[in-house]
Amino acid sequence: MASSKKRDRFNAQSLGMPLNDKVKEARVLMVGAGGIGCELLKNLVLAGFGEVHIVDLDTIDLSNLNRQFLFRHEHIKKSKALVAKEAAHKFNPNVKLEAHHANIKDSQFNVDWFKTFTMVFNALDNLEARRHANKMCLAADVPLIESGTTGFNGQVQVIKKGITACYDCTPKETPKSFPVCTIRSTPSQPIHCIVWAKSYLLSEIFGASEDESPEVDNSEDSENAKEIEKLRQEAQALKQIRESMGTEPFPQLLFDKVFKDDVIRLRSMEDMWKTRRPPEPLDYSATAQLDSREAVEKTLKDGQRVWDLQENISVFKDSLERLNKRMSEMKATSKGDAAEPTITFDKDDDDTLDFVTAGANLRSIVFGIETKSRFDIKQMAGNIIPAIATTNAIVAGLCVLQSYKVLRGEFTSTKEVFLSPFAPERLLASGRPREPNPDCPVCSVAQTRLLVDMSRATLKDLVEDFLQLELGYGEDLTVNHGNDLLYDPDENENLARKLSELGIKGDSFLTVVDDTERNPRVNLVLNVQEKTGLEGKPIKSLDIAGKQTRDEMPTPASPIPRRKTSVPQSNGHTNGNGTSSSIAGKKRSADEALNGDTPDSKRSKIVSNGAEDGVIVLDDTDGAILIDDD
Amino acid sequence: MTEVITDPTPPILHGPSDKEKKYDRQLRLWAASGQQALEDAHILLINSGSGTVGVETLKNLVLPGIGKFTIADENTVGQADLGVNFFLDEDCLGKLRSECCVRLLQELNPDVQGNWFPKNKNETIEQLFDGTMQFTMILYTAPITRARMELVLKYGQQRNVPVISIHSAGFYSYFHINLPGNFPIVDTHPDSTATTDLRLLTPWKELSHFAASLTDNIQSLSAHEHGHIPYVALLLHYLAKWKEEHGTLPSTYKEKTAFRSRVASGARTDTPEGGEENFDEAVAAVLKTISSPGLPSSVREVFDYTPNKMESTASFWIIADAIKQFYNKHNTLPLPGSVPDMKAQSTVYVQLQNIYKAKARQDAAEVLKTVRSHPRGKDINSAEVESFCKNAAFIKLIRGSKSSEASPTNIKVLAEREFENDANAPMMAMPLSLFPIYLSLSATTFYPTSDASDIIGTIKNVFPDAASTPRVVEAAEEVARANGGELHNISALTGGMVAQEVIKIITKQYIPIDNTCIFDGITSRTQVLRI
Ligand SMILES: [Zn+2]
Repeated sequence: MASSKKRDRFNAQSLGMPLNDKVKEARVLMVGAGGIGCELLKNLVLAGFGEVHIVDLDTIDLSNLNRQFLFRHEHIKKSKALVAKEAAHKFNPNVKLEAHHANIKDSQFNVDWFKTFTMVFNALDNLEARRHANKMCLAADVPLIESGTTGFNGQVQVIKKGITACYDCTPKETPKSFPVCTIRSTPSQPIHCIVWAKSYLLSEIFGASEDESPEVDNSEDSENAKEIEKLRQEAQALKQIRESMGTEPFPQLLFDKVFKDDVIRLRSMEDMWKTRRPPEPLDYSATAQLDSREAVEKTLKDGQRVWDLQENISVFKDSLERLNKRMSEMKATSKGDAAEPTITFDKDDDDTLDFVTAGANLRSIVFGIETKSRFDIKQMAGNIIPAIATTNAIVAGLCVLQSYKVLRGEFTSTKEVFLSPFAPERLLASGRPREPNPDCPVCSVAQTRLLVDMSRATLKDLVEDFLQLELGYGEDLTVNHGNDLLYDPDENENLARKLSELGIKGDSFLTVVDDTERNPRVNLVLNVQEKTGLEGKPIKSLDIAGKQTRDEMPTPASPIPRRKTSVPQSNGHTNGNGTSSSIAGKKRSADEALNGDTPDSKRSKIVSNGAEDGVIVLDDTDGAILIDDD
Repeated sequence: MTEVITDPTPPILHGPSDKEKKYDRQLRLWAASGQQALEDAHILLINSGSGTVGVETLKNLVLPGIGKFTIADENTVGQADLGVNFFLDEDCLGKLRSECCVRLLQELNPDVQGNWFPKNKNETIEQLFDGTMQFTMILYTAPITRARMELVLKYGQQRNVPVISIHSAGFYSYFHINLPGNFPIVDTHPDSTATTDLRLLTPWKELSHFAASLTDNIQSLSAHEHGHIPYVALLLHYLAKWKEEHGTLPSTYKEKTAFRSRVASGARTDTPEGGEENFDEAVAAVLKTISSPGLPSSVREVFDYTPNKMESTASFWIIADAIKQFYNKHNTLPLPGSVPDMKAQSTVYVQLQNIYKAKARQDAAEVLKTVRSHPRGKDINSAEVESFCKNAAFIKLIRGSKSSEASPTNIKVLAEREFENDANAPMMAMPLSLFPIYLSLSATTFYPTSDASDIIGTIKNVFPDAASTPRVVEAAEEVARANGGELHNISALTGGMVAQEVIKIITKQYIPIDNTCIFDGITSRTQVLRI
């Protein structure tokens, strides 16, 4: 233990004992063990954080190794969370590490579990998981340090319920989708053909074809109804061809179907081509003189060059055979399992990438659209986000610096930082945290956990007894479960039904909207927790004192706050740490150093008007303080 | 199911190499050319002190596949090292720190060659500079002896090797880039929205004709055709009309907004959407595209610079001169040739693209001809000329550092300027200067464990008011408190920033900072200053 003391010595000296103790006592959750996660875990472990939980669903891929330095070649296909834990443990055996190879959205990670952490770090690469962790942290009222990178760009923000803006306070760009007719009948850009090859061709042949791709908008209107019906029949015919997979004529059958017969049908619809170049069908037999094995290998090695027609046909056939073979092997091993094996697109899976590249390019040739190299198609089909070690190192470092402010409870002196690599005059842009958006559907809501006796609680118990009687709601309210409307004044036939019959379970989230015109309440989010054998009423709030609670405490008129109408003007630079002003020192204390831009006017010589960082704290006393080293 | 194809399994040679796959995510930032430059590079780190920031920098270079690195470090590993340095473990205690770090760093990437120095007691770090080894770049960390620092800087100047000094202590750090000569960059990766150059005010014959052919009988076009005229053609059409009516093209802001309303009024409103997307695009593009690009100041700087004898033989300066001649003749830079996405029928869009591409090729051919006529222009690659033409408006020249070290007068001038700015900062809502951090850290370059009064004493040599400047006193006290020790997190973050600049310089892509970046971990802020 002597060595661990020595190890800790410099952290203690730099952070100061009070903060260093908080670091050692902290129990934190890191969601994601990828690019940012590896860096963050290293920094947390060396900073001496007491306990770190790691959740990641992913396994390690070769393309991770240029930055995710806790992983080696021999770890490919293993769990990121577990390998990261093992690797990091060696560097500070005093830190307690726990890894979960699981999806953060799993029900085991419920609000109560989130509540057990001092803070949460989001080190994720996708919108959906970020939103989920954001929502859970708000529900559990646990501070969240959110971060992300794209190439040289990156950002860090601290999310604390009611104090700073949450992840969803600004709307996020949703992935682009294309109308089904553009993809299936009238493509005009390379991306249309790429989406076709990936979301239609590959998935009809090797996938669970009923999967609906988010990239394709299948909404129907009167104008396209006829064409959509035709396309349905076309897809049906393609399924039949799927039956002959593995047979000798299969590649030609498929090729002729999608690059000849379907094209001829499309071309016959003359109206479509009045102002467009009509598509030209391709002929498989005319190009049946396929490249030699060596030539195909050579083409496949050259993914930066744009392939010609002949090369694309050869790669189409070759990759189709590889996928066939995989499929028959999968079928052989799965034996009588209920579900048919499927192959889905993975940008890092060469077989699917080659197939999509060739398929997309052949379709582009049919429609007179520019063809692309496999390198480019990989990026477009796989939504590849460039990633490098340097950006992750910077972002992870900033996350830990913010965590010190969080541990001291100084949420308003945290920074929202953007990396600005293309502004070489500064590299980082640091600003004050934004305030919550009063119209945010996620954080500008009231929240409560609800104990529910599922065996008897009905919707009526919820609406009339809990919401209207206890919380004082009026007639005009709606209750939603996800996108399903459970109740509104006109939709009240469910009232007598049990919540369990309406699809509500433990950990369900319900949203209550107050539709009163005058001075409505903010939306109320209810997090359902199952409780068997609840005494008295079958629904009880864990966080809001209702009228019927046993306490004799006076209840406020409305425990749910009313909606604000505009963003409050803020100047609220609060000093949340209450640093003792009795400190007097010749040596600058760690506590003071970290105080940085949190002013304490009593000790300040210069106090600015609170512009960005514009506050200086200067100790003008002349006593002495020494920081304990041990 | 009928019979399954039983072709012999093809050899598993498919697809891109493992290396391409491993580096896929970064190749999208600096392409194969940048990767090659990294793989050809050899970085030397002269490590000292608590020794973390240099190693963290190297980590971020080993991962993306730098060719070679060498660590020069005379220290042996102690307990304190383990607390801050991730690339050392219990087994390293008492061993040579350079060797241990190289071993663990190399595990990160088997493609990278690592070496350490000294190998035995008879070797000294100074021997590294006897000329037998070639380095692409040298990094050194503080603290360092004055003699050694001067040797490194002299070597860098003489051999034309960039040198970066890094200093991390407590919550503060800075790094300083010393470029031995001028550093021109062609591939600066400008923001894609900035690169659109459509030449609408000076269209060439083919473009005018094509646009006219699309808009000749604009009133009688079908709804579909009218709604698919690319906005480039729309703007050219309305510009021609405007010129007919006014005699000149719109040039003032007022004229441009009037012109914009004119374009907007051309949209048909009897459509299901009540408007036309191509007209919306045209309206949105008016202010950005109806302006003569002019010569960007960074390009002017390149044109005005007279390269010295050694520089003038470099292909950059030969091509730059050819482009300058092109500019003087045509009063415009070569056309980049790309066309942004826009609402249009695909065949029309492709034709439009071809017209711009053909013009770009023509301009590049003219530049190439000038290059070829230069006595040393024979061997210059035509692809290099093309890429230069494409990026002509964004080329950038970073001037090399004049003296080997920031001179006291220079520092004095800077200090005065920065503190004057600070005096006005509260009023201007400007952040305060981080220069005091630089002053305090650099005062401990040779004496890492100085106390605050020593630090202030050193700063007084260049800035006599140091002791009465509260921000300086505060920074000096913080540096004294760190006592030469590094915080891992600050060093990791700084190592990320340094490595990023190293990559920019080695790949000659993106614009590196000029030339010092100061980091304050207390407020999570940086400041870049030319020192
Ligand atoms: Zn929000």
